[in-house]
Amino acid sequence: VARDAQTVVAVDVGGTFTDVCVMTRPSGSLNVAKVPTTADPIEGVLGGLTEAGVDLEHMALFCHGTTVATNALITRRLPASAMVTTRGFRDVIEIRRSTRDDLWDAYKDVAPPYIRRRDRLEVRERIDYAGQVLEPLDEDEARLAARLLKRRGVQAVAVCFINSYANPANERRMCEILAEELPDVAVSASSDVLPEIFEHERFSTTVTNAILGPLVGGYVRRLGGRLRDGGYRGDVLILHSGGGVMTDEAASRLAARLAGSGIAAGAVASREVARLCGYPNAIGLDMGGTSADISLVYEGEARITTDWFIEYGYPIRFPSIEVLTIGAGGGSIAWIDEAGSLRNGPQSAGADPGPACYGNQREQPTNTDANVVLGRLGETLVGGAMRLDRAAAEDAVRAGIAEPLAFSVEEAARAVIRVANANMADAVRLISLRRGYDPRDFALVVFGGAGPLHGADLARELSIPTVLVPPNPGIWSALGCLQVDIRHDLSVMLLGAASEVDPQEVEERFAELEQQAHELLGAEGIPEDGMRLERSIDMRYLGQWRSMTIPVGAPVTSLEPAIAEFHAEHERVHNYRRDDAPVEVYRLNLRALGAVDKAELPTYARDGKGLPAPRERRPVLFDAVESPVDTPVFDRSSLPAGAAFEGPAVIDQLDSTTVVPPGVRVEIDEWLNIRMTMPDVRSESA
Amino acid sequence: MSTRSRLDPVTFEVLKNAFAAIVDQMAEQILRTCHSFVIYARDFSSALCDRDGNTIMQGSQDIAVHVGTLHLTAKAVLDQFKDDIQPGDVFAINDPYLGGTHFNDVRIVRPIFVGDELIALAQSNGHWADVGGTVPGSFDINAREHFGEGLRIPPIRIIDQGKLRRDLIKMISSNTRAPADVEGDCEAQLEATLVAERELHRLIGKYGKETILVGFEEVQDYVERLTRLRVAELPDGVWETEDYIDVDPNEGEGLVPIRVRLEIDGDTIKYDLSNSHKAVGSFLNAGFGASFSGIVGGTKTFFPDVPLNSGFYRVMEVNLGPEGSVVNAPWPIAVTGFCSGPYEKIMNALFELWSQIMPERAMACSFNLEYLLVGGRDARSEARPIFMWYDWMAGGWGGRNGKDGANATAPVFGAGLAVQPLEGQERLTPVLTSTHEILIDSGGPGQFRGGVGVRKGGRLTAVEGTVMSYSCDRARSITWGINGGLPSYPHGVWLRRGEEETFLGAAFSNVPVHTGDVFWRPSAGGGGFGDPLERDPERVKDDVVDEYVSVKRARLDYGVVLREVDRELAEYEVDAEATERERAEIRDQREKWLEEDPEAIAARYRAGELDMMDLVRRYGVILDWGPGELLPKTTVGFRAMLARRMVPHWRGEAAGAGTDGGREASAPAAR
Repeated sequence: VARDAQTVVAVDVGGTFTDVCVMTRPSGSLNVAKVPTTADPIEGVLGGLTEAGVDLEHMALFCHGTTVATNALITRRLPASAMVTTRGFRDVIEIRRSTRDDLWDAYKDVAPPYIRRRDRLEVRERIDYAGQVLEPLDEDEARLAARLLKRRGVQAVAVCFINSYANPANERRMCEILAEELPDVAVSASSDVLPEIFEHERFSTTVTNAILGPLVGGYVRRLGGRLRDGGYRGDVLILHSGGGVMTDEAASRLAARLAGSGIAAGAVASREVARLCGYPNAIGLDMGGTSADISLVYEGEARITTDWFIEYGYPIRFPSIEVLTIGAGGGSIAWIDEAGSLRNGPQSAGADPGPACYGNQREQPTNTDANVVLGRLGETLVGGAMRLDRAAAEDAVRAGIAEPLAFSVEEAARAVIRVANANMADAVRLISLRRGYDPRDFALVVFGGAGPLHGADLARELSIPTVLVPPNPGIWSALGCLQVDIRHDLSVMLLGAASEVDPQEVEERFAELEQQAHELLGAEGIPEDGMRLERSIDMRYLGQWRSMTIPVGAPVTSLEPAIAEFHAEHERVHNYRRDDAPVEVYRLNLRALGAVDKAELPTYARDGKGLPAPRERRPVLFDAVESPVDTPVFDRSSLPAGAAFEGPAVIDQLDSTTVVPPGVRVEIDEWLNIRMTMPDVRSESA
Repeated sequence: MSTRSRLDPVTFEVLKNAFAAIVDQMAEQILRTCHSFVIYARDFSSALCDRDGNTIMQGSQDIAVHVGTLHLTAKAVLDQFKDDIQPGDVFAINDPYLGGTHFNDVRIVRPIFVGDELIALAQSNGHWADVGGTVPGSFDINAREHFGEGLRIPPIRIIDQGKLRRDLIKMISSNTRAPADVEGDCEAQLEATLVAERELHRLIGKYGKETILVGFEEVQDYVERLTRLRVAELPDGVWETEDYIDVDPNEGEGLVPIRVRLEIDGDTIKYDLSNSHKAVGSFLNAGFGASFSGIVGGTKTFFPDVPLNSGFYRVMEVNLGPEGSVVNAPWPIAVTGFCSGPYEKIMNALFELWSQIMPERAMACSFNLEYLLVGGRDARSEARPIFMWYDWMAGGWGGRNGKDGANATAPVFGAGLAVQPLEGQERLTPVLTSTHEILIDSGGPGQFRGGVGVRKGGRLTAVEGTVMSYSCDRARSITWGINGGLPSYPHGVWLRRGEEETFLGAAFSNVPVHTGDVFWRPSAGGGGFGDPLERDPERVKDDVVDEYVSVKRARLDYGVVLREVDRELAEYEVDAEATERERAEIRDQREKWLEEDPEAIAARYRAGELDMMDLVRRYGVILDWGPGELLPKTTVGFRAMLARRMVPHWRGEAAGAGTDGGREASAPAAR
């Protein structure tokens, strides 16, 4: 790296690998490194930076997606933590909403709460639904609780009082007492973390935030320290589940926003590819070894949900990018059940023993094995790091699928892939079709190691006309971190009939949120002209339980336009409207964005006239053609911008393989994305 | 059942999964637009039925209590309208005498056509919050006939060739306490069935009508084949047991038996309930559809991964016996409370029977569904609007083979049924919740403890013209253990007005209540599994540290003696020597305790020397818990039950891991 150059760096720490993506400016050239994730992930991050040749003194920006929070929750490697709550309610987080994830398997239990019952203490206090203090905080009990927690040596405390969203006074007083008695302990108060009605959801979010605080805080401080020791002078930006970044300081305060960070990165990355290519609507498919993550972008915005969790039963109500994960990956096992049906996943051969073609087993055929049998994956991959054992793949498909069904091995392999694709298509439909979206208006962005193998077939199944494969599908998620702004999601409850809510009050509440947003972004060094504030109101028909988010402008002088927009949106999404039914306002939201220097992908002149010679030719079985087709195999790096041709083709690269079925048009665009145009995609709408 | 598929394996698997995706999309649609909080809490179901009404696929997250009934209501629509079903028609039905469950469960049935040919029916079933009748929420425990319970909707046409019959919808909504919500839910359900129609037409466009019709059959055949294969691997044999409803008001005190005989014969499961008690003089009866649902739900618990459709039902031969029994109540006997009455008993009886056949999935009795309803005028505002505080609780599930029961979980009636947030309830109703917490010692003691139950209490802050009703059971037929495990805790509502405390029982309706009244109720824990004296004392200690079990009951129920080391740090230790002595003493005495004079025990209860848990667990004595009056017949029945479910295991006389819960259990014969 030249001394005068600047680099922007994205690091995505996954369960198995740490991906480092380095972009050098002004040229925009991209350098990537993939190193194993280490027990202390910081070692992996620094190792990856070294491997990628990053000079910390010349690093202009460091963005980070991390599974540190997610893993801590799943493995329960958590600090000693406690909860202080209203007398009579210490079991709210254990009773939850009482539901089971698996309705029928009486031996499959929901995970226990993050804080044990013995560490959930009660104090006398009570606020009612309107925010009136029915019983002030009993300060003697509060102090007693604080001292007891000190004796127990807890490192994090969640303060969760009933109805505190309506009046935070008692919670605040409790926090003061805790601060006096336990000055070094992280405290999260529910009225601070998520000032929203519904006790379990608010408590659960607050508890998650509290227990992750010491861990995430320690992690970002240590990471920031190590980077600064090396000479880095900028901010450490961490990607949160809402698809924005936050500074290390904010991350330790709102630690639970980091849960799900890794998954959001992929969704952001697919949104950015689609945006570059001129598609405001995109479906992202990030297919790896064990699972596929599906996300949806509409009119430039990733779909957001507040209804999600890392572990079933413990909601985290921060707005988060909605991602549907299904057990369909390269390593997913194809099997025939006892009643003779051909199934695919969710069990996976994982990395060990891995697919049969890795050479460690010959009994369990996987999607990867089927792709090898079909010739879609070659026996040698680019770079030659790994050989795939075709004979082993054939053996597994023969024994596991072909013989029981009396199929040829090739037929069996094709059947395996068809079922896998149909399952993914069902998942995409679940996340998209019911919402009134028309797939013809979407692009399908495929990445992850296995996504580009399946993209074209899936697009045909879903009648999606265009498939985009970004330049580095295997590490594409990491790049997502470099494409986003600082983002805070603020909200305040405001419940009432839309026709009766005073617009003046709405305006005042928004103004308060905006004041908060300015302070937050200002403290993060965002100049006034780099701030963008977006208002919206959650609304619903009176009596409904879920609301829809309706964007509104500033200032609010009347709610009529928002009501009209709500009716229209309800009709668009749910296919009907109830003009006579009263509309209710539920919550005011403010999205506060602080512009961050973003990485711009390099562009290349589209002068690729002739096609390079293929690396090899081999027979490949495609879905829609009966017999094998003699197919050219290209090195992706040899395909210049502007190259255009028609399938069949296979395009190999270090971290992925793209399959182009016959008749599909391919174009390499100026960012070196592969764009596939599907022939004869018909409308599917009945 | 055909054994060979006419579809290629890929098309079959793709269609099977696509049908599942359709019903799951219907569920999503309902959740996003429904009005009834009962529906939002997941008391709903969705199904795709074939043109004969058979269920092809049912939602994977559907509430248990609806399974096995959606094909019956689809068939009821087809039977009534026969050839008079046109494209664009939609029907509604809630009739429990035609295979429905209770009046609140209103099913919207949309026939799906290709041209003029009927090919399928999409059905969306949701529990409306109110369908009229004398009690808010339409649950009148005292009803003997259905006329006062709510609006009965036989199959009716609500959309006539595309034209919504608003007059009819209006007539229905006008007979309820929440007309706007009813209309909103109706719209949401109509839309859900439309989602199914759209998706099915997409599949037909791709695969062709004939393939889809074959797919409908084969998905049912597949489930039947899968289930028969599993059943054939099990030993043939006959197993019998009984469970009880608390009381039949027509007969005075005494437990009301529901008798279940299960036979495995080759690859077929046969159930016979024909020896069950006659219909009771309250609304705790079940129509044939609801009883069938209990059988399907109980069986499915032991085949959790098998998809649900009519193929599953074909594996079962069910004999409910003649009409007029508590499990086969015909019109006009009141059946709205089936869910608190026979349904739970059938499911738990099946759990016990199947626990013997599949000990690796064994589970003791789980707490009984309960609904408490407070309804009247909300005096917090001038307008005095009608309010309904309509509440159900989590409770404990039965102890399992090698595992404690699940704590504070939704009832087996619907493991996806969510409890409501009290902050929402406090906004909408003048009921201030004073506590919502786990009830210490509520889990039935056992080597593997029953899951713990919950206690919820509240105060009425400003009400007028308000009444309280409770649809529950098991104040007397207490949630029981298996393999020597002990029962849990009696259900029932307690009311305090001023200084006066009253036990209202586990089933009552329209009790007037006033501003300032305080009430609370427990939900039972699950029954214990295995002898509690065999429980690892360290596990008992852990339970005490977390206050799932008290120090006192650790000693009484488990014979484990604990010393407090440091209460602030929640540290205790087991006194091993004292524990051994205590356990020997209990072992020596416990069978005698079950034979002590019940009147004397009742007197000691009234004197405050013994509590409810002592009576239920040690002495097997059942009282009217308020005044403490002995219920002699009930006690005899309860003690006989304990003698069957506990004593042989204490003595080590029961064979293997399976319990001899049956009255005349015959040894399973290997095939």
